[in-house]
Amino acid sequence: MSNNRKVKDVIVKTAADLFTPIALVLGFYIILHGHLSPGGGFQGGVLVASAVILIYLGYGYSEVSKRFNMEFIKKNEALGAILFTVFGLAGILYGSVFFTNVFVGIGNVGDLISSGTIMFMNDSVGYKVLTGVGFLILLMIGLLAPDNEN
Amino acid sequence: MQHYPILSIVTLFLGAFLTVIFGSKNETVRKFIALVASSISLILVLMLIKPVMIENNVIQYWMGNWRPIHDWAIGIGLEVDSLGLFFGIIAVVTIFLSIVFSFRYTEKDSETDKYYVLFLMLSGSVLGLVFTGDLFNMFVMIEIMTFAAVGLTAFRNYQEGALEAALKYLVLGSIGSSLVLAGTITIYSQVHTLNMAQISALLFNNLTPSTLFAFALLLAGYSLKAFVVPFHPAAPDAYMSAPSSISMAFSGMVNKAGVYAIIRLVYVLYHAMSFKSIQLLLIIIGTITMFVGVTMALAQNDFKRLLAFHSISQIGYVITAVGVSTALGLTAGLYHALNHTLFKGLLFLTAGAVFYATGTTDLNKLGGLAKKMPQTAAVFLIGAFSISGLPPFNGFVSKWLVYQATYQANLAPVTIVALLVSVMTLASFIKVAQSIFFGQMPKEFENVKEVPLSMRIPMWIMAILCVLTGIFPNFVTKYLISPAVSAALNVGKYIDIMMGNGYAEKILGKPVEIPAVDYVLAGYWNPVAWLVLFALLLLAVTIVAVAGGFNTASLPVDGDDSKYEVFFGGEANEYSHVKGNDLFWGLKYDLRHYFGFMHDAHSGIINDYALWAIFTTTIFIVYIFLLVP
Repeated sequence: MSNNRKVKDVIVKTAADLFTPIALVLGFYIILHGHLSPGGGFQGGVLVASAVILIYLGYGYSEVSKRFNMEFIKKNEALGAILFTVFGLAGILYGSVFFTNVFVGIGNVGDLISSGTIMFMNDSVGYKVLTGVGFLILLMIGLLAPDNEN
Repeated sequence: MQHYPILSIVTLFLGAFLTVIFGSKNETVRKFIALVASSISLILVLMLIKPVMIENNVIQYWMGNWRPIHDWAIGIGLEVDSLGLFFGIIAVVTIFLSIVFSFRYTEKDSETDKYYVLFLMLSGSVLGLVFTGDLFNMFVMIEIMTFAAVGLTAFRNYQEGALEAALKYLVLGSIGSSLVLAGTITIYSQVHTLNMAQISALLFNNLTPSTLFAFALLLAGYSLKAFVVPFHPAAPDAYMSAPSSISMAFSGMVNKAGVYAIIRLVYVLYHAMSFKSIQLLLIIIGTITMFVGVTMALAQNDFKRLLAFHSISQIGYVITAVGVSTALGLTAGLYHALNHTLFKGLLFLTAGAVFYATGTTDLNKLGGLAKKMPQTAAVFLIGAFSISGLPPFNGFVSKWLVYQATYQANLAPVTIVALLVSVMTLASFIKVAQSIFFGQMPKEFENVKEVPLSMRIPMWIMAILCVLTGIFPNFVTKYLISPAVSAALNVGKYIDIMMGNGYAEKILGKPVEIPAVDYVLAGYWNPVAWLVLFALLLLAVTIVAVAGGFNTASLPVDGDDSKYEVFFGGEANEYSHVKGNDLFWGLKYDLRHYFGFMHDAHSGIINDYALWAIFTTTIFIVYIFLLVP
């Protein structure tokens, strides 16, 4: 079926080329500004991960499987989780309780680096979600791929 | 001390994440991480015994220091009282022993990094569930728990039925989680808070149809997680297909998490045990659970499936005793929950040992293993005696308390059912012992060896704990059970610790009385006397046995006498092991209509089971609407 044909659709390919950077930039923007504006780690992470789908739509499974190393992504997801836990534990290290926001006084309110560790917790969530959801998408499109391409 | 609960949870999750990064290549590293994480967690939780159990403190912990403002809880809080800690201790002991057991047990499996990751997530979520003071956090933890459990059920996916079992667990577990979520949001929409202490205060004498609806949903959802009977059919499949160390964790802590949630729900959140109808509901579902579980177990031919049905049956005892709602009943329920963790964990480990040694758990294929695996057989007998309630093992104490509690509450029929169930438990374990460890050994198991030391150590620890909790019931009751019972009954303190002193009195509108808990109860039996009696009997048997002297040369020895010669003694006996199926055929024949009905009911189709779950939930809702206020 359509899985077997070479992807040559110019419109889809061009759209993928065009929208992938937008998805990445918007996603990272939302992750980084999670403590200042609506959105946050999860929403931004899902946006970044959607870039995988765009590349798949434009270039097919063979290209995607060449570009992404699933083992590496899996380990980075765990890294995101570990970072989140470590920032949570920082609260205990600084004499308060788990998940306490420390280093609050640094920076002016409204700046990117202004709200202490909550920003880094948010970023770790974003990192975990972009790798986790990206991994899930890769897994799913891997199942869609025809056997001869595997 | 204040940080111990959160650290014990975080350690397990951190261990899981570290295993993903560092444990994927090297077997030793992942074992090391799992061992360190579970031991740290074990030590941290055990260190809480002194402040919480003995000095009777309650630990409150607001994440991120978001304390209540104007008497309104705005953050997520942990609250560790004796009840939570009691189940926490059960969980960490199970986790630690199960991890130690699985080191050698999983050596033939590939990709054990995923096993340890999921196991540590499961452990962390159970600890989080019992330590949290936030209703939505409970849902999150139970969701992590369910999905980790589903993954672990399918871990040996080359085994027949493992994927099917995982799918059943996934569907039924998701129905349970959805019910819990629906109940949680219904409560939130009514009282606008998720903190359990505050909900408990606001719901006191303030039950509306909406909150009752939420109560029914939560009760059904958590009952599904505890696998009480109409919700049980995912459990036997899951327990059978999962590795034995995981089956132990399922019956030791995943089940108990559901039981904990039910106790927390009916005693603390809704103060519901003052209603006769709720007591009756719990007693009815508990009695049905224990009866159906044990009769189904009698008909099983697989060791682990049989144990799974016994697990359901023993949970029935716990729910019944909890439903009696006197201090004695709650004591009996919690004691039985503890004992169930110990002996059922032990039995699942012996099942794992048998599987490790022989490659099967089918009762009709095994036999005579006691000669080859003497230690496994010994600990199996301890576990079987404990679960059947023989003195001086721990099952006797808690079952005695259950009988006493139900009888004193004028529920003699329930006592009779409980006794019957106990007898049938003994019967089915005679069957297991006969068909696995005694009788004749099939030819193919002649080279079977005893399992390695690292698998025997957890089994012996469990066995020793089974004996100790049976011989020293007063000690266990004093330091573990009665603080947990008084914590469950003393709702005012639970509220005050979290929301600030005087909050409970202000909301409840009356001084918070601390219920007097009377413990003149376990004195009806004296384990030491029984132990002395058994020792005397053993001595007498030994004396009689050696009275004839040790000279056995005069006895004919098989093979070199004329016994087997043709025309004299007949032929050498052929292999004639009495199989598990052959025992109790009379009982099974007499009750064939009942067994036929149960066989047809357990159709193995997920749609049917989902229908049961929804149907029972509907019955809960109707029952509670009709009878509660």
